[in-house]
Amino acid sequence: MDILFVSKYIVVIALIIMMLAALRASAYKSSSMGLLGSSVVVVAFAVALLLVGDLYNLEFYRDISLALILFGFVGTVAFAVVLGGDDK
Amino acid sequence: MIEYIQSILLIISAILIIISAIGLISLQNNTKNVVYARIHIVGVFDIACILAMLAIGQYLLAGIYLVIAPFTAHAIANAYWKKEDKENNLNLKTVEKVDENNPFIHPREKIEVLETKDSGKFKTDSKFSVAMLEIDEGE
Repeated sequence: MDILFVSKYIVVIALIIMMLAALRASAYKSSSMGLLGSSVVVVAFAVALLLVGDLYNLEFYRDISLALILFGFVGTVAFAVVLGGDDK
Repeated sequence: MIEYIQSILLIISAILIIISAIGLISLQNNTKNVVYARIHIVGVFDIACILAMLAIGQYLLAGIYLVIAPFTAHAIANAYWKKEDKENNLNLKTVEKVDENNPFIHPREKIEVLETKDSGKFKTDSKFSVAMLEIDEGE
């Protein structure tokens, strides 16, 4: 079996584990932890999509993961600005 | 040969992702500055994702994520510091507006004045500092 194929699957499994850990971490009491966990879940999902698209030669997965990374960043920063409030 | 380099990069990134997942949930909630520690652990995960992107040839995505990941971490840490970090941020410990008639909440300045005014009585033992509030039972 091709070693590259296997290592891509290993990374996808590791990303799924990371998503579960981030979901658990986002349930802690402070809302900053929820923000951190959700941003980690989005990035892990985007990288998993990239890998799956690379495994099965699906070109449009790359565009979806680019959109996820960019809009995940924008949403995280926007929520953090709203949470932090104005500078005095 | 290139396949082996890609595989090694992917396996290194998988190991880093597993380590960061374990670290993210194994920190105890009562640890001091635990949110900053978790943000630090997520930095390891970010670099692992960048390695995986480089291994599968998505250089533009890797570059974009390398630039925006620190901004995300800083935004989350800044929001936590401003609104929720009661351990380190002294501004969050004070109550700004206090109703004078509230029998339970007293402004910090009033308590400090009371403590300094009556502190002469209680300095018999320097190990202890005692603050007393008189409670009028008629209220």
